[in-house]
Amino acid sequence: MPPLPVITGLGFITSIGQDRPAVLRSLRELRHGFEPVEFLGNPALPVKVAGTLKGFSFPTTNWRDWRWPDRFTVDRELIRGLAPHGVYAVCALQQALAEAGLAPAQLTDGTTGLYCASAGSAFMLGNFLQQMHETRGERGNPMGIVSSIAGTLNFNLAAHYKIAGAVCGFVSACASSSHALGFAMDEIRLGRQQRMLVVGAEDLSAESIVSFSSLRALSHNPDPATASRPFDRRRDGFVGTGGAVALVVEDASLARQRGAHIYAELAGWGQAGDGYSVAISHPEGAGLREAMRRTLAVARVNATDVDYVNAHATSTPAGDRSEALALHAVFTSGGAKPRISSTKALTGHGLSLAGAMEAAFCALAIDDGFIPGAAHLEEPDPVCAGLDLPRTSLEEQPRLVLNNSSGFGGSNVCHLLRRPT
Amino acid sequence: MKSLSTVPVPSAALSHQDESIRHLPEAAREAFARFQTGGDPAVLDPVLFSILDDYIPRASARPLAELPGNTRLIDDLGFDSLAITEVVFFAEDLFGINITNEEIVQVATLDDLRGFIRAKVTIPAAH
Repeated sequence: MPPLPVITGLGFITSIGQDRPAVLRSLRELRHGFEPVEFLGNPALPVKVAGTLKGFSFPTTNWRDWRWPDRFTVDRELIRGLAPHGVYAVCALQQALAEAGLAPAQLTDGTTGLYCASAGSAFMLGNFLQQMHETRGERGNPMGIVSSIAGTLNFNLAAHYKIAGAVCGFVSACASSSHALGFAMDEIRLGRQQRMLVVGAEDLSAESIVSFSSLRALSHNPDPATASRPFDRRRDGFVGTGGAVALVVEDASLARQRGAHIYAELAGWGQAGDGYSVAISHPEGAGLREAMRRTLAVARVNATDVDYVNAHATSTPAGDRSEALALHAVFTSGGAKPRISSTKALTGHGLSLAGAMEAAFCALAIDDGFIPGAAHLEEPDPVCAGLDLPRTSLEEQPRLVLNNSSGFGGSNVCHLLRRPT
Repeated sequence: MKSLSTVPVPSAALSHQDESIRHLPEAAREAFARFQTGGDPAVLDPVLFSILDDYIPRASARPLAELPGNTRLIDDLGFDSLAITEVVFFAEDLFGINITNEEIVQVATLDDLRGFIRAKVTIPAAH
């Protein structure tokens, strides 16, 4: 039997829950994770809502001021090199390892690798550079670089967990952690690693979210109940969130040998570029369409076999339209009609975190036997006519689930997850 | 409403130095205040030990103040070069001094550090 990557552990620090039972409840009951927020102490800003991480607080860049829920442990030696999203990641990875029944000592023999994704921390980097300018380069926090640049997650987690296998970070904006998971699947398939830890995370800060205001990409809707409404005719932009999700991916034979619970098999993945714009998706979703087709081809699956698609749809007018057209091309035009929803209606858009978070949601749907509904959808965009967007979560057991992600520059990545046989 | 203000620190109410030491124990903050008004660097020991406590990789079994002066930072207390660099940065920032790489490698023990900082700090004018 060739190696087959399977998911054996999941950890969540998300706006809709900070452990598996809470996330499951939110997905099943379509409970969103949004709160009114005020960025930069400026009530004039039109961005009023975010997917918040309850019980976490990062009021300054000084780690001594940071707070997290009591049930999580973050070593002081570790925290000095972390950004806020590193704290989320540590908490999520602790959960995932516990779920998978793995002790840290089992990760150090070189058969376990670590792939991560985040945009780095503009919050930490801004402070570090401000200090550099104030001292004209004469003084700086020794941890300034490793706590802020893209790669901060893999630097810190690999050192802390003494990972001797493959270690890398992925940067493709909102497809980043989907790339991390896809290439982690390849490490298993190619026999290079027996186990991969995959972590996606992002800060929730003005620096990470409000920056998108300059692109006119954020919702100005102040109502947490409707601000994020992918595929709805009245959608006006995305709602930002942060957090972390961790997945333990193992070769199926190793997982079975250990008696580990298998959430889902990872049947294949694919990617394709738009070749179109630095920041706008292709108007017909050309890259995403091709990424979906390649994923199905790699897994030797017909479009009609797919039961559920977790769409990338972020609630932006242009992006959701492109994805709807791509979904029509891959599915509707061939007579396929999978259930489709974007769970960003509940979580908000986690940027680099999004792909791993939504792959984990897909694994939960397969494991728990349900399909997340299309929350907050009241008036579907006419471009969605013919797509099956259930308004409530459904008690249906999906066998094959597709997870879509798209990032800046037209990076499109899809995963296909399968119910374990 | 949740505030995601991330307003730059330090707050206007605190001086840069007060901001730097606001997390240290009260005894250390009082010692620093005595140094600022009296100018005697000999009173700085509680400040130094608090800084070391903040960055020590593994907690010391005994309070640092009770350890012999020849206790070695790396071999006995578990500091690595990165943690020492953090202590140096904190001291540079707090005392407004510059410490070169050559000077850092001369500091091996608690006494070395204590003597080095005493010699290095600029003594403020007494009020």
